[in-house]
Amino acid sequence: MRHWRALAIVVVALGLAVGAAACGGDDGGEATPDTTATEPATTGEEPATTEEEPATTEEEPSPEGPQAGGTYRVDWEETFGFTGGFDPVGEYLGEAFGIQSGLLVRTLIGYRHTAGSAGNELIPDLATDLGTISDDGLTYTYTLKDGIKFGPPLSREITSQDVAYAFERIGTESLVAQYGFYYTVIEGMSEFMAGEADTISGITTPDDKTIAFKLTAPTGDFPFRLAMPAAGPAPREVAGCFTEAGAYGRYLISSGPYMFEGSDALDASSCDTLEPIAGFDPNTSMTLVRNPDYDPATDTPEARENFVDRFEFKINSNPDDIFNKIKAGEIEDAVASEPPKVIREYTENEELTPLLHINAGDRTWYITLNLTQPPFDDIHVRKAANLVMDKEGLRRAWGGPTAGEIATHIIPDAMLNETLADYDPYPSEGYAGDVAAAMEEMKLSKYDTDKDGICDAPECKDVLYVTEADRLRQDMQPPTSASFEKIGITLKVRSVEGAYPVIQDVSKNVPASGRPGWGKDYADASTFMVLFDSRSTLPTGNINYSLVGLTPEQAAKVKASGTVEGIPSVDADIDACNVIPVGDERVQCWADLDKKLMEEVVPWIPYLDATATQITGPTVTKWDFDQFSGTIAYAHVAVAQ
Amino acid sequence: MAAYIVRRLVWVIVVLLAVTMITFAIFYLLPTGDPAVRFAGKSPTPQVLEEVRRQFGLDKPWYAQYWHFLSDLTTGDKYGWPGLGFSFDTRIPVREELLERAPRTLSLAFGAAIVWLTLGVTIGIVSALRRGTLLDRAAMGFALFGVSAPVFWLGLMALWLFAETGGGPDWLHFLPGTGYVPFSESPSEWFTHLIMPWVVLALLYAAFYARMTRGNLLETMGEDYIRTARAKGLTERRVVFKHGLRASLTPIVTMFGMDIALLVGGAVITETVFNIQGLGAWAVRATFNQDLPAVVAVVVVSAFAVAIMNLLVDIVYAWLDPRVRYQ
Repeated sequence: MRHWRALAIVVVALGLAVGAAACGGDDGGEATPDTTATEPATTGEEPATTEEEPATTEEEPSPEGPQAGGTYRVDWEETFGFTGGFDPVGEYLGEAFGIQSGLLVRTLIGYRHTAGSAGNELIPDLATDLGTISDDGLTYTYTLKDGIKFGPPLSREITSQDVAYAFERIGTESLVAQYGFYYTVIEGMSEFMAGEADTISGITTPDDKTIAFKLTAPTGDFPFRLAMPAAGPAPREVAGCFTEAGAYGRYLISSGPYMFEGSDALDASSCDTLEPIAGFDPNTSMTLVRNPDYDPATDTPEARENFVDRFEFKINSNPDDIFNKIKAGEIEDAVASEPPKVIREYTENEELTPLLHINAGDRTWYITLNLTQPPFDDIHVRKAANLVMDKEGLRRAWGGPTAGEIATHIIPDAMLNETLADYDPYPSEGYAGDVAAAMEEMKLSKYDTDKDGICDAPECKDVLYVTEADRLRQDMQPPTSASFEKIGITLKVRSVEGAYPVIQDVSKNVPASGRPGWGKDYADASTFMVLFDSRSTLPTGNINYSLVGLTPEQAAKVKASGTVEGIPSVDADIDACNVIPVGDERVQCWADLDKKLMEEVVPWIPYLDATATQITGPTVTKWDFDQFSGTIAYAHVAVAQ
Repeated sequence: MAAYIVRRLVWVIVVLLAVTMITFAIFYLLPTGDPAVRFAGKSPTPQVLEEVRRQFGLDKPWYAQYWHFLSDLTTGDKYGWPGLGFSFDTRIPVREELLERAPRTLSLAFGAAIVWLTLGVTIGIVSALRRGTLLDRAAMGFALFGVSAPVFWLGLMALWLFAETGGGPDWLHFLPGTGYVPFSESPSEWFTHLIMPWVVLALLYAAFYARMTRGNLLETMGEDYIRTARAKGLTERRVVFKHGLRASLTPIVTMFGMDIALLVGGAVITETVFNIQGLGAWAVRATFNQDLPAVVAVVVVSAFAVAIMNLLVDIVYAWLDPRVRYQ
């Protein structure tokens, strides 16, 4: 009898637990936050979870129209994920670009901070126009508008010397400019970086309003490079106090419409009196308020409308809590990976659908194939892998169509003006993979010795495949492995926490990986082609995962082994496109190179052009997507009063 | 006793040295890649990588870095004493980050400890004294529930039921949701924000403590000296609280010392669910991000807490049990 009573207690207790768990299912679960957003080239990658295609919404004005005032509150999942302490020279991810470019750091030329192709086009910002380019394409000259000032505590006019000083900072080795390589095309920059010159000879400031850049070679996308936050003006009297990477981030002097709260309390009378501005604590929060020295007359509403009075960014480690708060109107927005159930709720509930915003992410996800490692050192195997891959299965793992369009080539269509929208060199019904065509291709491979379309060489058995140890990659694994097996390739899957450092180490000779994705730095395909430039190949931190263009000499330097002879190179093609000015001809050049890569090199199996998904709260009366940064267009959002 | 304490404090230093050295060794012997790569941008040049390594001190062998760490720890660095360097991740001084996060974790740990001690020991005593009654069974049912329910689930349920943004009945939504408000900013907000995490974290421990108190007390109450005490005519209250409970608390004290110390760096789930941004959550993130200075800082604090709590436990032992004497 005693045992029966004990058993009854256990059953009741378990019943309570299960019942409560079921109740919690709507709101609980998913306690483990995803941490991938802080890794290189991986922001905004998390999967959605529905097969339905929701309506794309770029902005949702309220019936009364947006009003000025209020606070826009954004929770950040887990961490800010800043790459350089928020110093513009060290920030290399979209989330920081979004805040800096939209709110804090104006550049000579900038963006409209809106969705779609309009958001990828350049417009004047600090400068009066898009600049003058010399006939030889080597000199770019800009004139600064009058009346643009740094915010408190400096509150002084911004001069061309302040812009020039930003480039000195980029060239200062100890500040670790994360995309300083974009500016080595400026005459004298390399010498300055190497410490061989005190000034950058290619940058001249004949007066306070004029700045000219002389380049060593025509560089068609140079204006895009000037629109990056690192190229924004920096006041020497404050920024010059900091000589280590990231240190200036907590003292950032605004040139935009907002500033850190407490900036006016900064004592900038000397370097010794500087204390971190109260409005930014990298661990917990960032608060921005209006910059009293910002003059809207020097800006344009198409770039910045600046409705809200205040931005509050806070770190929150609980993603469920973040989206509960958004739904309840306690916060307006989030920089977070939406849990699958949240996406499902917002796609299925008509009342919530307008609060779900889906935009082109200008980001491609792909399986990388190492050209030095068997069996992928054979182009026919790489082509067969492309033909057989169940891309729809991979997209399902990401959550279905809301996650993005199936990628059939390297550069996102939006960046090529849809030139290659219908291009698919490895087509299959429903993107499920064409086994017959793949087997035909495999027959041409040296690894298919009996020419039956199935790889029978030992090199095809237990091929190392490195991926991330997260749920998404686990879900991707069955369709990936099954696809490869159809042509006789069996994978030895290694799931690791932090797959990037592994595949970025050339000496590890990883044959294939399903981890990588790549997003644009700016809307020019050159920012994708760096992935295939053999001159950027490094022993560690390498992003040319496929080792395109690797020579035997380079292989020895970077400790690559395997087939290092006869690897195709596209360096010359990249150089040829790079000199063409921004415009249709340049776009076509990149499109042609994309096709060449897909057909003659085949370094990747691209499978997804990812979308950027955002959920906003009911208090948001105007919302827009910043196509440049791939995040919230802070300069255009508004909240109900 | 004083000599004993001094000896133990020396051992604390030895333990800290060993733990930090092992942490350094693990960081270098089991790397998932070059930490500098993570902080040098998505397409770094060799020069940038080299500079990042230099700034992080990663260009030196691990033992040199360890020596540098020890030197800074004891003499201080440019950010103050103790010198813990700067976080690779946030680029701010680790000391500053530690000082900001420690009060959060300590608030959580000690608040929860008060709740679980009060709850657990009380339930244990009542259960032992009312053995076999409905009260005893209900108490042990609670203990079973507390032990069985995962903390993250309890946390999410608590938020669902009681937080302002929760999905449960509206009339129950009387507590603020997640987050932490410093005591210095608003004592009442500090308290209301921490009630849920305290209770959730305490439930697990309270369950253990209730079972342990009950078991120990039952065993103690069967001892000869308890019978003697009763035979001498002492009141039952005096028998229980002066002679029974005091002796049965010794293992509880041991467990308490270890539990509270481990929570200093280990309340990860509670901190994550309730967005407290304490040391535990920081340690986990730092580990994933290869942020060695932050990892070492949390390790130092946690190891120090464990060592000190062990010492305190031993001292309390002597007070609780007159038979214990330290030389």
